[in-house]
Amino acid sequence: MSTDRTITTEGAPIPRGPYVHAREHGGLIYVTAQIGRDPKTGEFVEGGFEAEFNQAIDNLEAILLASGSSLDRVVKAQVEFIDEGDLDAMNRIYGERFHEPLPARTSFGVAFLWKGAKVQIDCIASAA
Amino acid sequence: MASHRGIVSKRGPQPTGSYPHAHIDGDMVWVTAQAGRDPASGELVPGGVEGQLNQAIDNLAAILDECGSSLDRVVKTQIMYTDAADSDVIQAVFSSRFPDPRPVQTAWGVRFLAAEPGTEVVRVQIDCVAGLG
Repeated sequence: MSTDRTITTEGAPIPRGPYVHAREHGGLIYVTAQIGRDPKTGEFVEGGFEAEFNQAIDNLEAILLASGSSLDRVVKAQVEFIDEGDLDAMNRIYGERFHEPLPARTSFGVAFLWKGAKVQIDCIASAA
Repeated sequence: MASHRGIVSKRGPQPTGSYPHAHIDGDMVWVTAQAGRDPASGELVPGGVEGQLNQAIDNLAAILDECGSSLDRVVKTQIMYTDAADSDVIQAVFSSRFPDPRPVQTAWGVRFLAAEPGTEVVRVQIDCVAGLG
């Protein structure tokens, strides 16, 4: 049970700050918020909100897989986004990417995100 | 094992609402968001966002210590801040204060944080989840 460890993977953009991609503690995987940056270039993907959100979830998924977990084991997700007008797109894409049993979710509009990101998502997932 | 309880420390600024400094459940401690308030006076410290974040992390460290944990056992952090231009200094302070193994982080911009009686305003706050073992 005492499997404390940090996880960083090439499948997600290199952390641009003093944090790791994920930590495992007490049977749970805690994941740093992901934005729509391409893991290879580190740049934001083109295509606006939808492309950014899909890429952010791709990054989250890559980190979960590198941690031995997956999107279908997410317990709680948290989504922050800038523009209220993107709410419907956020819900639609989220519904396409997360499946039963769906995790608990908190989502809210924020004043700004890092480097002008339109959306970010973090999660806590079961390790087992 | 039925060890879940709230913790209020004399070493953190006294809570101004219906919450403790931290809540312990099992081998995890969940810490209330801290601003850059001096634990003795309750006032915001000078030094802008850098001074505030250093004090806020001091407060987290004192509360964690009281709970039997420490900054190097922090698993997850959340940072809320009011000015996009403060992003780099916030990450620099965070980097200088959180040792390896680093925690995960979620940060976002907010319109406002707690209101203050004086001219200083809270520019940043930080909470965390840490292990006890």
